[in-house]
Amino acid sequence: MSIQLPHGMNAAAFDKALADFRRALGDQWVLSGEEDRQTYIDPYAMGDGLDHDCSAILAPSTVEEVQAIIRIANQHKTPLWPVSRGKNLGYGASSPKEKGDLILDLSRMNRILDVNEKQASCLIEPGVGYFDLFRHLRQHAPSLWMSVPGNSWGSVIGNALDRGIGYTPFGDHCETLCGLEVVMPDGSLLRTGMGAMQGAKGWQSYKYGYGPGWDQMFMQSNLGVVVKAGVWLQPEPEMTAKITLALPRFDDAEWALDILCDLRRRDIIQHNIVFGSPVRAASTMSQRADWYDGPGALPDSVSEKMMAKLGLGWWNAKISLFGDEGSVMAQVALIRRLFEPRLGSALQFEIWKRGDPLEKSATGIPTTMGLQSVNWYGGRGGHLSFAPVLPQDGAMALAYAKKIKAYYEEVGQDYYASFTIGRRHINNVSLILYNRDEPEAIARVDKLYRHLLKEAAASGFGEYRGHISYMDEVAATYDFADGALARLNNRVKSALDPNNIIAPGRNGIGSRAQGGDRP
Amino acid sequence: MIRILAFILGLVLALALIAMPADAQSPAAPQKTAPKSANATPIATTALGAITYGAQSANPGEKLFGQKCAFCHIGPSTGKFMLARRVPKGQAELPDRRDLTADYVKAVVRNGLVNMPTFTRVELTDRELAQVADWLARKGRK
Repeated sequence: MSIQLPHGMNAAAFDKALADFRRALGDQWVLSGEEDRQTYIDPYAMGDGLDHDCSAILAPSTVEEVQAIIRIANQHKTPLWPVSRGKNLGYGASSPKEKGDLILDLSRMNRILDVNEKQASCLIEPGVGYFDLFRHLRQHAPSLWMSVPGNSWGSVIGNALDRGIGYTPFGDHCETLCGLEVVMPDGSLLRTGMGAMQGAKGWQSYKYGYGPGWDQMFMQSNLGVVVKAGVWLQPEPEMTAKITLALPRFDDAEWALDILCDLRRRDIIQHNIVFGSPVRAASTMSQRADWYDGPGALPDSVSEKMMAKLGLGWWNAKISLFGDEGSVMAQVALIRRLFEPRLGSALQFEIWKRGDPLEKSATGIPTTMGLQSVNWYGGRGGHLSFAPVLPQDGAMALAYAKKIKAYYEEVGQDYYASFTIGRRHINNVSLILYNRDEPEAIARVDKLYRHLLKEAAASGFGEYRGHISYMDEVAATYDFADGALARLNNRVKSALDPNNIIAPGRNGIGSRAQGGDRP
Repeated sequence: MIRILAFILGLVLALALIAMPADAQSPAAPQKTAPKSANATPIATTALGAITYGAQSANPGEKLFGQKCAFCHIGPSTGKFMLARRVPKGQAELPDRRDLTADYVKAVVRNGLVNMPTFTRVELTDRELAQVADWLARKGRK
């Protein structure tokens, strides 16, 4: 690794910019040495990760410092890649989409500013992680529950802004945000929703304010730096019940999706349901070599062996119910009525009542257990995910999954899929595990991802979230009216951020490859 | 054959005890009693215990370990499970290790090791890392 400069800047100009940043933040919080830069390389990078190397890291601790950074960046035209905590593993972690951008690391801004237990909301900074908020709530507001994503190491705000999900009724994380404070690309400060009123009392109570609601503008985008957000939390229910349904046959996905989606549309099941294939469970507790060391994709016979040993089905759906005792028990009865005749066995729900140990409940408890899956192939592992949005149609989803499974087998990749059932959609997540230091594996992963993207788009299914290596490619699949959405995004970007200093190319907006330097 | 059976038994117990796949939310009900298996050390701490590890400690190194490391290295979690495949039985949780020196801990934290990611000097300053490393090394000498 050597010195890396921001795109289009010479060393002298960069040194001047760094000197200004150091004056604003203090020497300790402007990191440009090799040793520091390598700690910001994506741990799941495909290869050495240097294709997304940054030039320096800026770590402010206050809103005023963020504003100062944005003003200096405009002056010197240094592009910044903001991250809340930089744990967006599987999507690029801290690494900028475009090599040489400076990482704006907000993890020191980690204050929990307010928790309102009665109104079940909080106001936090972007550096607050799921573990931090969980500990705080247990201690200070134990009647409030939170939703957590599979990898809970990251930022509550960061995950929500990238539209990450969890598995409780508050699992659509972007929808739990209520009121943002944002440093705009010119360094000015904006509050959305009711916060737009000086001294507003209801900032965390009502999302929309008066006139257009701009909150979505700051999600999966690069039009400002979110420095505070309100987050709605879940009041502890009286009872929860949970169960994992193991569906023995691959084709069971069709009928099971149709039933579960119907329950979801009716809000009988109030959370995002995940529905995963055997490798998904096996990879969190074992390695591939424990089961199979042959070449190519894992044969179905081996998957079936895993299922038998681990008590899994081809699909394994975790379902939770939340509410007062009467309604939870009625829902348990309903789900038993729907599934027991088809599965031929009695369903045993785990019931939690208020006062029981929390682990028995269906609340979100932060964990990093799922990260174990990257050890599947051995070596330094990583994963990439492709997750297109499908309508809630079991037959359509099964046909698509079969096509994808066949392609995994063709390229020799172990099939690892899940369905996530949202309010009106299904994400068919294809998870792609790899050893990042194996060049053939990386070539296979890239080929597989590009194929999946093309195949899905041709079927009318668009990806919901993007890895830094494929942001332009995903954006290009949103091509109605010759890319009208991309044109709008780029017009807004150039109006608000004429120097293109905030996250050039994020989600395909203001990419240099597309002339984003001169928007 | 016995090794394989023991391994499979370990997996089944692990499935019963611990959690769910990559994007699932929370560990299943942990138990106090630990399974004996070929590849996993006993799980003594629950998921909740790991999250609040060291919270009451007067030692700043232990406290920091609880905040920054324990969620992977204590109880039913990733770091512990990966290490259980490599280190002597009973030492998969870092505070139980007898071979850690402060310099080694610092090197791993800054450079990563196999699937352990690096920690930046923003997330864990040199001073904080020294406290954690010192505490782990001293624990090993007790």
